[in-house]
Amino acid sequence: MTSHPPRESQVRLASQPGPSDDWTFRVEDLTKRFGAVVANDAITLSVEPGEVYGLLGPNGAGKSTLVKQTIGLLKPTSGRITLGRFDLVADPDAARQLCSYLPQVQMPIESFHVTEAIELAGRIRGGSSKDIGIRTASLIDALDLGEWRNALGHSLSGGVRRLVGFCMAIVRPGRVVILDEPTNDVDPLRRRLLWREIRALGAHGCAVLLVTHNVLEAEKSVDRLAVIHKGRLVAEGTPSSMKAGDRRHLRLQLMLTPGTATPEPPAWAGPPVRVGNNLVTTIAEADAAIAIVWAAEMTAAGVAEEYALAAMTLEDAYIRLTSHMSNDEGDESD
Amino acid sequence: MTEAPAAILVPHGTVARGPRHWLHAYAVMVRWHLASLRLWLVVLTIVQLLAGVGFVLGIALFFSHIPTTAALFVSTGVPVINLLTVGMILGPQLVADQRSNGSYEYLRSMPVSRSVSAMAWYTVCLLGGVPAVVVALVVAQLRYDLPLHVSPMIVPAVLLTSFAGTMLGYALGHAISSPMATRMVTQLLVFVVFGFAPVLYPLSQMPRWLGAVNWWLPFRHMAVVTRAALTPGAHAAVLSGYVVLGVWAIVCAALAGRALGRRP
Repeated sequence: MTSHPPRESQVRLASQPGPSDDWTFRVEDLTKRFGAVVANDAITLSVEPGEVYGLLGPNGAGKSTLVKQTIGLLKPTSGRITLGRFDLVADPDAARQLCSYLPQVQMPIESFHVTEAIELAGRIRGGSSKDIGIRTASLIDALDLGEWRNALGHSLSGGVRRLVGFCMAIVRPGRVVILDEPTNDVDPLRRRLLWREIRALGAHGCAVLLVTHNVLEAEKSVDRLAVIHKGRLVAEGTPSSMKAGDRRHLRLQLMLTPGTATPEPPAWAGPPVRVGNNLVTTIAEADAAIAIVWAAEMTAAGVAEEYALAAMTLEDAYIRLTSHMSNDEGDESD
Repeated sequence: MTEAPAAILVPHGTVARGPRHWLHAYAVMVRWHLASLRLWLVVLTIVQLLAGVGFVLGIALFFSHIPTTAALFVSTGVPVINLLTVGMILGPQLVADQRSNGSYEYLRSMPVSRSVSAMAWYTVCLLGGVPAVVVALVVAQLRYDLPLHVSPMIVPAVLLTSFAGTMLGYALGHAISSPMATRMVTQLLVFVVFGFAPVLYPLSQMPRWLGAVNWWLPFRHMAVVTRAALTPGAHAAVLSGYVVLGVWAIVCAALAGRALGRRP
C-alpha cells in the first residue's frame, strides 16, 4: 500500500477549523508497515467526546504504533486520523496541541519538584499561570499526593511517579487524552482516585483513549473498547457486548498440583488453556453440576489443589479473541 | 479542596500559532530544560570551570617561562571550549540518554514547535557556557597579565560560536538514532576539538593538509572570531570565519529541525 501525502487544501483546512462542534476522534482504514511487518492493518475506530475507550491487546499487538501515529511520532503508511475537522496526520502541530499523552514509560522528571513538573506541563499546554496553579493543587489533593508535593522526581516510588506523570498529562487536557497503562505500579487505593479523575475528564468532554493489557481493570472502567491482535482490530463494543458470546456459559478454573500433567478435558468442556498451574476452560451453565463433580474428583485424586467455578469475564472473551492468555492479573508490569 | 477553573478543565479547541505563542512556549521550555538539568548543575559548573580555568592555568605547567603569545592563544581559545561543552558534547549525550530510557518520545510529543525546542536548548547552553568563559578570562588576566581587549564583537562571536556548536550537537543527537553511536561521535568530536583543531594553538603549528581540512570545519573559525573580539589590532580571516560559521549554524539547524520532525 502506498502513502498518500496530504493535499495543501487539507493542511489549510486543518489549520482553520470551522465552527463545527464535531470533536469525534476517528481512525479510518489506518495501516502502518515497517518493512514486511504490518503493525497496524486497516484499523478503523472512533471515540466520541466524553467517552472512555479502551484499546486492548497483548504486547506487540500494535496499540502503541497507533498512538504514536496519532501524536505525530510516526507517519501512517495509509489511512487517516482526524479529530473533528483537524487532520492529525497532515498537521502534527495540531495533533500535539489537541492530544494529551501519558506514555507507558515514566516521565523524565528526576530533577523536577512534583508541583513544578505538573505546572510546567500545564504551562507548556498553554494554561495561564494562575489557573494551572489551582488545577495542580486540586489534582495533588484529588490523588492524595500531598506528602510529595515538594519532593524531587528521583526520590519518588514508581507508583507515585506514575501518578505525577498522569497529572502532567491531564493538568490541561487536550480534546483527546491518551493514557498508556496509567495504573502501572499504582496502589489499589489511589487507583480508584485515578479512575475518578479519568471519568471526570470524560465528563468535561475529553475523548479518553486508554491503552492497556489489563483486561479486568478495563472491564470495570471503559465505556467501549477495541481488541487489537497482530495489528488488526478483531473486536469492538461495550464490555457487555464483548461477553455476549459467553452468555449461559461459566468459567471453570483448576489450580493444578505443581508437576502434574494436564488432565484430559471432559467432552462437555471447551478447549482448555493452561498457564503455569492454572487450567481454565469454558462450560455451559447446564453442565455446572457434572463439572463440580469432575473438579472435586480431580482435587481428591491430587491432580488439582483447588477449583473455582465463576461467571465469564471480559478476560475470557479476550482470550478467545486473541488466543492469548493475559498473565497480568495482579501483575501490572508490562 | 479548590475546584480547578473550567477554563482549564474543558479541553480547548484551538491550535495556537504565531509569535506570542512561540515566545510563551520558548520561555516555558527554557524553564523545563533548566529544571531537567537541576541535579547536574553543580557537576556541570565544576566541569566547565575545570575545562576553562584548568586549561588556562595548566598551560603554565608545560613551560618554565610561558611566552605571552602562548598564554594569550590558550586563554582566548578556552572560551570556545567552554561554549562547546554543553551544547556540542553534553547535549547529544543527553538526547542519547533520553533515547535509552524511553523519555525521548514524550519530549517529542510536547506541544511545542521544533524551533522553540531548539532555541530554548540553545539559550540553556549559552547560560551554561558564558559564566565559565568570564571566569577563565579573569583568571587568565590575573595570572598572565595579558593584553586583552574585549570589543563589542565578543557578543556576536560568543552567540554564533555557541549557536553553531549547539546546533551541531543538536543535529547529531536527533539524527543519530543509536545512543551508542551518538556517544562515540561526541567522543570523537572532543578528540578533534582538543587535539586536531587550531583552537588552543595557532594554525601555523599544523601540517598544511590538516590546516586545509580545518578550514572546512567550524572549530578553527570559532577560535578566530572569538580571539579577534578579545585581542587588539586587526585580524585576518574574521569575515570568512563568520561566513563559514554562519553556514555551519544554518545547515546544522536545518538538519536538526528535519531530524526532530522526522516521522518514520
